[in-house]
Amino acid sequence: MQASKRNLSICFATAIVAIAIAFPDRLPAQTDAAAPTRAGSSAAQVSVQVERVNPSDLGLAPSFQLAIYESLLQELNKTKRFHQVLREGDRRASEIPNLLILKTTIVKYTPGSETRRAVTTISGATKLTVRSQLVTADGKVVLDRTVNGNVRFFGSNLRATHNLAKNIAKAIKKSPCSLPEQPS
Amino acid sequence: MNGFCVTASPRRDHFSGRGLIRAWALLFCCCTYALAQSATHPVNANVPFSVPVTHLLGLENTKNNCNGTLSIQDSALLFQQRGKPGAKIEIASVRDVFVGGESKQVGGLPMKLGKAAAPYGGGRVVSLFAHKKYDTLTVEYADGDGGIHGIVFQLKKGEGERVWQELVGRGVSAIVLEKQPTKATVEVTHASK
Repeated sequence: MQASKRNLSICFATAIVAIAIAFPDRLPAQTDAAAPTRAGSSAAQVSVQVERVNPSDLGLAPSFQLAIYESLLQELNKTKRFHQVLREGDRRASEIPNLLILKTTIVKYTPGSETRRAVTTISGATKLTVRSQLVTADGKVVLDRTVNGNVRFFGSNLRATHNLAKNIAKAIKKSPCSLPEQPS
Repeated sequence: MNGFCVTASPRRDHFSGRGLIRAWALLFCCCTYALAQSATHPVNANVPFSVPVTHLLGLENTKNNCNGTLSIQDSALLFQQRGKPGAKIEIASVRDVFVGGESKQVGGLPMKLGKAAAPYGGGRVVSLFAHKKYDTLTVEYADGDGGIHGIVFQLKKGEGERVWQELVGRGVSAIVLEKQPTKATVEVTHASK
């Protein structure tokens, strides 16, 4: 009984190795891991500087503005799409050659209430809509997206900022943003 | 004639000309002194100031939503968790401090589950009363490279203003301190055209 189990496991191992040798490009795990590297090879040289959120006189609290800014920095670092993620005002930015600037402007803001969400379920959602632009140093827009971040059911109002930053990072990751060709 | 008129009506003499100017000047000085007294809360800089806070986000090498103590020691703001090394920010690098107000449901996840399990919508009724107001303290500062950082702390209601007053009282006049109204903003959807 034990010998047959051993034979079976050896057979499985041999089959896996054979498949790996025969179809090196078709292993799902490998394609998942390799895809971002190939896609991001050009973008890996690009760095990004995140600017603070422009509240556009919509009454967005400073805590929300800075929470979006901090969450954006975290989420962009997680994407590994950029060589460096810099903060606004960072003096090192002038030395970095391929630098994109991420500008975020609040387009729509509905302040919600956690209590109203808990009591009514359908009302009290905190909604944020922003316009995110990736701009080169000379002002050319590389990416322009309108992104939402909401808290509808559970969680504090501040969670909307985290959701928003996640969605912005996702939009940037999906888009083929790279520096425009420089005229030689 | 004029002199006679002045002496004949002493009431007019007190409230016209030089007398009036003197009275206004005195009133102005009193008001300025009173305002200055109310703006600079008397704080003893030698006494260490600390307040329990929850770090919501922003501090490097510190977990979000963790409890700790925010203190002002010498020329630095220090956030310290129990049994862990603290995070320090030089007050000189602080650019802005904002105090705001929020409201949240109390009890965390166990309370949420209990409310969801309560029959006949009893959980909703509990939610009506199970909320608490708190202050948010937002600190904006620049690091050594000039990069801007933001930290958001959650404090008990009224404590935010205390920290704000403490910072002012310790003579941090170089920084701009802006106080945000603690009332929640009106629930109106704004859209840019």
